[in-house]
Amino acid sequence: MEKRMEAKEIEGLRLSLVIFFSNKTAVVGLMIFMAYVIDALLMQFAPSMLGVNNPNALAFDYSNTIPQPPSPEHILGTTYFGVDLLQAIMQAIRIDLGYSGLIVISGALIGALFGIISAYAGGWFDEILMRITDIFFGIPYLVLALGVGFALGRTIESMIIALIIVWWPLYERYTRSLTLSIKEQTFIEAAKASGVSDLKIMIKHIFPNTLPPVLVQISLDLGVVMAIFATLTFIGFLPTGNLPELGYLTSLGLNYIQIAPWATIFPGLAITIFALAVNLMGDGLRDVIDPRRRSS
Amino acid sequence: MIAAFGIRKYFNVKQSMLSNLMLKAVDGVDLKIRKGEIFGLVGESGSGKTTLGRILVGLLEPTEGDVLFDVDEDVTSRYENALLKGDKEELEALSKKYSIFKKRGNNRKILRRKMNIVFQDPYSSLDPRMRIIDIVKEPMIATDYLKGEAAEKRVLDLLEEVGLGKSFAQRYPHELSGGQRQRVAIARALATEPEFVVLDEPTSALDVSVQAQILNLLKKLKQERELTMLLITHNIAVVSYMADRVGVMYAGKLMEVGDKIQVLKNPKHPYTVSLISAVPQPKPRSIRQRIVLKGEPPNLIFLPRGCIFHPRCPFAFEECGWSTDEIVDDLSYLISSKYYESFGESVSIRTKDENTIIIENAKAELISEIVEKEKANLKSLTAIKKITQEVNYVEIKIHDFITPELYKLDDGRKVACLLFRAEEKNA
Repeated sequence: MEKRMEAKEIEGLRLSLVIFFSNKTAVVGLMIFMAYVIDALLMQFAPSMLGVNNPNALAFDYSNTIPQPPSPEHILGTTYFGVDLLQAIMQAIRIDLGYSGLIVISGALIGALFGIISAYAGGWFDEILMRITDIFFGIPYLVLALGVGFALGRTIESMIIALIIVWWPLYERYTRSLTLSIKEQTFIEAAKASGVSDLKIMIKHIFPNTLPPVLVQISLDLGVVMAIFATLTFIGFLPTGNLPELGYLTSLGLNYIQIAPWATIFPGLAITIFALAVNLMGDGLRDVIDPRRRSS
Repeated sequence: MIAAFGIRKYFNVKQSMLSNLMLKAVDGVDLKIRKGEIFGLVGESGSGKTTLGRILVGLLEPTEGDVLFDVDEDVTSRYENALLKGDKEELEALSKKYSIFKKRGNNRKILRRKMNIVFQDPYSSLDPRMRIIDIVKEPMIATDYLKGEAAEKRVLDLLEEVGLGKSFAQRYPHELSGGQRQRVAIARALATEPEFVVLDEPTSALDVSVQAQILNLLKKLKQERELTMLLITHNIAVVSYMADRVGVMYAGKLMEVGDKIQVLKNPKHPYTVSLISAVPQPKPRSIRQRIVLKGEPPNLIFLPRGCIFHPRCPFAFEECGWSTDEIVDDLSYLISSKYYESFGESVSIRTKDENTIIIENAKAELISEIVEKEKANLKSLTAIKKITQEVNYVEIKIHDFITPELYKLDDGRKVACLLFRAEEKNA
């Protein structure tokens, strides 16, 4: 009997995989995303395998600071201060991926917490929380992030906090709308009739049902947040001058854009490709969790 | 066992900031369900059956009224006497002890063990992200009835009992058919050995072949456990198969309550009569007299005065609650279309006050003649008491009305119709 159960579950999983892998662009997205993740993991745990001593600092070469074109020695060329671009981008991916993941997931958790409570409780509490998120939505997110960042000081931590503050209202709205539709379903009423407390209903019934769409949203947002993070560092919002970060790398080559376009193109491309890849992957994931798309 | 007194449930219908209208979903219902009995509640859509059911299991709090649970005849009659005398202290004391809405903390958990509900739609009443074992286990865990292994063992027993088998425990709801899901919902409702279960149209979302299986299962479970059930349905056949007693609801009020055989075989209230006459008979050539009601169920925000059924009632008479507006509507229809020839253009008709209608540029004799002629078709005209000719106009006075209560008849049933007011007096 147990075995049959397992077989059934494997069957369900297999079906999900078939749906995901039937979407070719989603598979490409997944492969690119995995390449970024593997690069980040290697940088974290075995940087020497990639020929890097300190993954947290750029290796400057003061003997030739002018950007050099791609060559067998420097496959993607170098940028200002003689930094090897390939190595720098590989270092930067770890930082960008890690921080954007941290920002999106914490934002989603905070947003889900408030979204579920406010939709479930309703009334004035909901009203107040909604007005607060309206305030956040009313200010352009980049301006808000800059404001919060400067108020907290010029550190990586303050930048992360600033972006989480910018990002959680989005998830608050999203989980709130999901909760509003879930809480009207009869199984919530059935749980109440069975004596389940409101807190437990939120944890055991509503949260798991909001999770799949929120996970898809997280995967879609990773790219956007990475782009915003890079934008902030591009305009000079970073604590140290040798932080390997894609936005900062782009800005390093900016002064040489006419004679050395590769110095801005390659780091910029690294951001764009990532944003594109997670979007494609997110679309594929959405097909997997949405039963209506599934049948078609 | 369970007794509801004067239950009213009004829902706010916001139209604008200023006007706040009330939708009267349930409007003054008294109901007693005896231990071990299946009480069938029938009525058309929107008659408030489901709202009443949800109030009885404590899912909704009524705007007015109280539900006492686990009470015997003695307590209910004490409560009734206190209601009659207006004895606030006694009411308070009884309500504190027995009301399902006043239980808190541990008492509430124990109450939750003793009652549960099965919903109409088995597709939305099971959490899609939980396994069957967790769904059925939930009431036991939540009310501290059983825990851990013991609870899991009981889930397996329950699944066997509702005819599903242990292998279903690890599945998810989407792997089950509608009938199987409804069996899971029944297993969940029975998990904590409840004494009272509300079945809210348990079969209306299922195929006909599965309906019978579910009904037989419910009947079997009822006999084994001496359950008390409230069966809400719009299907007379289901009620006649399952119920011991029947209540008929219309627009939030009980119209007739009595034993199943009395109510279904020999209905008294005009609404019940027409409802039963609409049930298809499995005899192809039999000729039956169907009573097709005029109009549609009343607007629940502005209920008709008097008896709420009078605008559609084939037996309505002068005291049923006709308002001047209804009479003006019917009269102006006659004057401006059917008898247009005799009246002409210049006639005007309007309501003066609650009991008076004024018609200008018309003759009293002509109007009385028409009223006499049309009385049989337009019941509202029966409410015209006096037609007098004044100098410039004709004045029409209408009858006073009486609001019917549930009158108790000799055979023990109760009917909310003025036709049976006299019978109660005699009894």
